[in-house]
Amino acid sequence: MLNSLDPRVNRLPQINQSISPKAPLDQFGTFEVFVQPKEGKSFQHEGIVHAPNLELAYVLAKEAFTRRFTCVSLYVVDTREVFVSPMTEGNNNAYDLIPESTTSTPGNQSFEIYHLAKRGKQHVHVGTVAANNPEEAMVHAREKLNTGKIVFNVWAIATEAIRFTSEEDKELWLTLPEKKFRDASDYKGGDKLKNFLERTKINH
Amino acid sequence: MYGGGNTFEGIKTDSIATEDPTKLAEFEARIERGEKIEPADWMPQLYRKQLIRMIEQHAHSEIIGALPEGTWITRAPGFKRKMSLMAKVQDEVGHGQLLYSAAETLGKPREQMIEDLINGKSKYSNIVNYPTFTWADCCFISWLVDAGAIVNQLANAKGSYGPYCRALDRICAEESFHLKYGHHCVIYLASGTPKQRQMFQEALNRWWPPMMHFFGPSDKISAHTEVLMRWKVKMGTNDEMRNQFLDMYVPKIWELGFTIPDPKLKRVKRQVSGNTLNLIGKNLSA
Amino acid sequence: MDHTPLKELLYKMADDQLILGHRNSEWTGMGPLLEEDIAFSSMAQDKVGQSLALYTLLHELGESDPDTVAFTRNANQFHNCQLVELPNQEYDFSLIRHFLFDTAEALRFEMLTRSSHQPLAQLATKIRGELRYHTLHANTWIKQLGSATPESISRLQKSLEYALPFALGIFETSLYEKELIAAGIFEGEQALQQKWLAKIESILSQTSLQLPDLKLIQPIVGGRQGKHTEHLQPLLDEMSEVFKIDPTAEW
Repeated sequence: MLNSLDPRVNRLPQINQSISPKAPLDQFGTFEVFVQPKEGKSFQHEGIVHAPNLELAYVLAKEAFTRRFTCVSLYVVDTREVFVSPMTEGNNNAYDLIPESTTSTPGNQSFEIYHLAKRGKQHVHVGTVAANNPEEAMVHAREKLNTGKIVFNVWAIATEAIRFTSEEDKELWLTLPEKKFRDASDYKGGDKLKNFLERTKINH
Repeated sequence: MYGGGNTFEGIKTDSIATEDPTKLAEFEARIERGEKIEPADWMPQLYRKQLIRMIEQHAHSEIIGALPEGTWITRAPGFKRKMSLMAKVQDEVGHGQLLYSAAETLGKPREQMIEDLINGKSKYSNIVNYPTFTWADCCFISWLVDAGAIVNQLANAKGSYGPYCRALDRICAEESFHLKYGHHCVIYLASGTPKQRQMFQEALNRWWPPMMHFFGPSDKISAHTEVLMRWKVKMGTNDEMRNQFLDMYVPKIWELGFTIPDPKLKRVKRQVSGNTLNLIGKNLSA
Repeated sequence: MDHTPLKELLYKMADDQLILGHRNSEWTGMGPLLEEDIAFSSMAQDKVGQSLALYTLLHELGESDPDTVAFTRNANQFHNCQLVELPNQEYDFSLIRHFLFDTAEALRFEMLTRSSHQPLAQLATKIRGELRYHTLHANTWIKQLGSATPESISRLQKSLEYALPFALGIFETSLYEKELIAAGIFEGEQALQQKWLAKIESILSQTSLQLPDLKLIQPIVGGRQGKHTEHLQPLLDEMSEVFKIDPTAEW
C-alpha cells in the first residue's frame, strides 16, 4: 500500500510488476491549432497539441486553447500538412523568395493562406486560393493576397486537410463567458482585507 | 508557475569560437535590436542547448508542480474553492503543455523530454518536491510561489526566443488569476478564526526557506552568464529576482499580521533614483 | 404545490454531477496525456459547476445553501447512482464511465429543455454546449481506443462489462416517476434509458467492442434511495475534511 500525503495517490491501482520502459511514441504526433476569437475576426495560429488523430486533436485543442476569454470557432490540422515559405527579416518580403511556378493554370484544390506580419507574433489567416499544389498556392497567394506590406513568412494549408468547427459545434463555447472562476477578476478580497485591517487596528 | 532558479552550469562557452562569425554577428545584432529569434532562424549551438535546458526545466517544474497543490483538489473547502483549485492546477498542466511545445521547436521531442524527466536526467525546480501538509500550504503555493514565478516569468517573457516568449505571454495572463486566487485564500485565512491564522503561520514557517531557495543561489557572474544575458536567455540575476519578490510581497505578508521566519529581514530606507522607497533588506550570505 | 417529486429529481441529478465531477477531478495533474489531462479537468469543472447550479435551484425551493448541502450530508443522504461513486481505477474504466454516464446525462438534459419547471429548462438549455463537448470527447476516445490495439480494445471491453450493471442503475425508477411525467417536469427514466441504449449502441457499433445483452444483466440499484457502496462515505469524508475543521468559518 502506498503511503502518500495525497489521498488520490493512495488510491491508485497497485503496480505489482516492475515498471517497464514506456513504449515509444506515446506522445503521438502534433497538430496545429487556429482560433477565431470573435465573429468577423481572422483565425490566428495559437500553438500545437499532441494527439493520436485529427478528430481528437480538435477535441483536445478546445480545452487546451479556448477555456478562457472569448472564442467562436477553432480548427486544427496535422503539422505535416502545413507548407511553409522561407522566413525573412528586415525589409525582405517572404513572397519575393518564392520560386516561380511552372504552370499558370488556376488549379482545382483549395488552400488556406496565412501571413506572419510581425516577427515574434503568430500567423494569421488572410484568404483562400485555388491551386494544384501548395507550391502553386504560394504563387497564387503572391498575386492575390500580397498587399506589398512586408510579410515575413507564408503558410499554405489544403482546406480539405483541416478539421473545422461546424455550425452546430459553435455552441461548444456557449457558457465560456460564465466561467468566471478561471478569471482574476472573480477574486476580489479588498473589502475583506480592509475590514480585517480596521479590526486589527482597533485591537492593537 | 515555476520559472525559478534555472541552472546553466555544465556547458562550456568554447563552442562559440567554432560558430560562423558573420552569422553570429547577425544573430547578436537582431537580439540587440529587440527582435525575436524564430525556430527557422540560424542560432548558435550554445543558445539552442541552453534554451532547451531552460524551457524543459520550466516545463517539468509545471508538471511536477501540479502535484503538491493537486493533493488538495479533493479536499478544497466549498464549491468556490473546489472549482478554483481545479482550474488552477489545470493551468499548471496547461503551462507544461505550452512550454514543452516551445522547447520542441528547438528540436527536442516531448517524448524525449518526458523520458528524461522520468529517468531523473533532467532537473526541475526543487520547491515542487516539498509536501503540502495542510490546506494552508496549498494556499501559500497559490499565492507566493506563483508570485515568485511571475517575477521570473515576466522577466523571461522579454527574452529573445519567440516561441518561449509567446508561451510566457499566455502563461503570465493566467498567472494573474493564480495570484489573485492565492491572495484571496490567504486573506480569508488571515481574517478568519485563530485556527485558520495558525494554519497559515505554520505553512509560512515551513515554506519560507524553500521559497528563498526557489530563486537559485547568488549568482557568480561568469563569462558564461554574461553571454547568456547578452543573448537574452537569462534576463536577470537570481538575487535581482529574489529581491524584487521580497520588495513586493514581504509588506503584503506583514500587512496580514504574519511573522516571516527570518530575523534578518527588516524594514530599511534605500535611496533609489532620488526617491525614497520602503524596501526590504535581506542578507543572503547567511 | 408539493415540490417533493421535483426536489427528488434535482437532488439525484445534482448528486450525480457532484460525485462524478469530484471523481474525475482526481485525474487533474495525473492524466495520461497533457492535453487529455486538461480536457478531463475542464469536464470535471463543468460537472461540479452544474451540480452547483442544481443545488442552487434546490436552494430556491427552500433547501439549505449549496455548500451546506454538498459538504455536510452523509452517504445515506446522497441520491447519486452508484456508478459515479466507484473509484477511478485505471483510465480505461474512467473513460468507459464517462462515456456511459455522460451519454445519459446529455440526453437527460436534452429532455429537460422541455421541462415544465422553467428554471430547470433554462439551465438545461444553457449548458447544452458543455454536454455536447462531453459526449464529443467521450465518443471520440471510445471510437479511437475501441478500435486501436488489442490491449486498448480488451481493456475497454473489460471495463464496459464491469461498468454496465452500475450504468443501468442510472435509470433506477423514482418513487415519483408518475408525478414527474404527469406534471411535464421530466419524461421519465424508462424513456431516457431507451434513448441512451440507442445512442451507446450506435457508437459501440463503430468499434471492435461488443455490447453484452442487457437483458441478461441485473442492474445495480439503490443509489437513488441512499444505498451506496463502501466507497461513498470515504469520498465525502475526504471532500469535507477542511470544510469540517470549522463549518462556520469562511475559507
